[in-house]
Amino acid sequence: MIQLFHLFKNFGPSIALSDLNLRIHEGEFVFVTGPSGAGKTTLLRLIFGAEIPSSGNILINGVNLSRISRLKLDLLRRKIGFVFQDFKLLSKKTVFENVALALEVTGENPPVIRKKTHRTLKLVGLAEKEKAYPLQLSGGEQQRVAIARAIVKDPLILLADEPTGNLDSELTKDIMILFRSIHLKGTTVVIATHSRELLEDTAQRTVFLHNGRVVDEK
Amino acid sequence: MRTRLLSYLFKQALSNILSNRVVHAIGLGTMVISLLIFGAFLLLFVNLNAWIQGWGHSMSMSVYLNDDISEAQRNRIASFIGDLAEAEIKRFITKDAALKDLRNAMGSQAGVLEGLSKNPLPASFEVAFTDIEGQGTDLEGIKQALQEMDGVEEVHYSEEWLHRFEGLMSIIKLVGFVIGGLLCLGILFIVTNTIKLTIYSRREEIEILKLVGATDWFVKTPYLFEGMIQGVLSGIFALAILYLGYFLISTKKMYFLGLAGLDFIFIPYPYTLLIILISASLGLLGCFIAVGRFFDI
Repeated sequence: MIQLFHLFKNFGPSIALSDLNLRIHEGEFVFVTGPSGAGKTTLLRLIFGAEIPSSGNILINGVNLSRISRLKLDLLRRKIGFVFQDFKLLSKKTVFENVALALEVTGENPPVIRKKTHRTLKLVGLAEKEKAYPLQLSGGEQQRVAIARAIVKDPLILLADEPTGNLDSELTKDIMILFRSIHLKGTTVVIATHSRELLEDTAQRTVFLHNGRVVDEK
Repeated sequence: MRTRLLSYLFKQALSNILSNRVVHAIGLGTMVISLLIFGAFLLLFVNLNAWIQGWGHSMSMSVYLNDDISEAQRNRIASFIGDLAEAEIKRFITKDAALKDLRNAMGSQAGVLEGLSKNPLPASFEVAFTDIEGQGTDLEGIKQALQEMDGVEEVHYSEEWLHRFEGLMSIIKLVGFVIGGLLCLGILFIVTNTIKLTIYSRREEIEILKLVGATDWFVKTPYLFEGMIQGVLSGIFALAILYLGYFLISTKKMYFLGLAGLDFIFIPYPYTLLIILISASLGLLGCFIAVGRFFDI
């Protein structure tokens, strides 16, 4: 499903990824970990098409991201959910509107948008807060809104960048339960994290990055 | 689905205008002023043109006769004029009547005429032409034909004045095009910057829209609608203000300008549509320029 071949990414003189090769299969649950600056966020952004590799190839479902048009990339993004480290919620829109946005851009029917948004907010435990604005919510709740927005369109791939970075251990557990339930529905999940707590008891595949290279895997 | 999407994007545009109402109001106001200047110029041009056309429609010609003209020659000239479909002899002015007219015109200065040994003024026919534009009357041809007739000394009509006014109209037209062009550039600049400001204020939202899979057109279309709405509204407001000005001036009959006898007309309907079309197109074009560089996400 996700194939990365000899991937390099430079930001000026600084090297973010160096000859990275990785293959993630359909329906897998993968952690990508490593110290700060290892290239975790860059890797996810490259898979999402938010960055262009300096060299190398990225294939999503056999489609080479370097060779597709801008429109096709936009359409491909609809199949990929991304949970951003800084949530990227719109403060002037309600929780419901923030989540519904991911469906509105697809031109979906308004009744379908309402139904799917309600259902997803219920799934992440925010059905009671759909009229609230992001700034009225706690960090954990904002994180769940970001997850709801990423999964409301039933993506084939879910990418999450440090999804528990600002949360206490109780909320971290809740969020991880949520990711596992999404994974159980068949979604490929890739989580970038440097949290040891998250990785300690996991039996999931874990890819270790260091200085932009895959240095270990378990 | 396309109609539903367009309706959604149109609502987005209206909501954007409301949330950035101060920026849009300033942009709209400036556009209205620019269009008002353009419209006022057009109004002036249209009226000058109408007045000149009116003069052209009621052109007059003076056919001066030789002193020794015979009765038969005079009748031949009169019948030649009478045969012209668009011409009519308004008056035959005898030599004595011409002198009397001159005396009246000179008023207190008429004393200088007393010393004349004989009347130097010729008798003449005063000919009026109706609808020379509509009938395609060749005034120059008629003048030539009359001048070749026996008994005719000279023929005059107000072609010099007409040509001078036509020259003036060409200059006004040229100035209008230059001013119009400059104002169009100004409007384009205003719209581009208004939309740039609204895009800048919503750059976070644009980034998020792109990240959740919005196509470029999904993001751009509301801005294009915004520019078009701004253009159309500016055109309508400018025309409304212009009409109000026209109404006030025309009901006062322009006494203050000493032009009470002239009919004052408003910009013809096709031109008003053209103004709205131009302002809408400029709004749209300004947005195309503004949105072009903002979507590299």
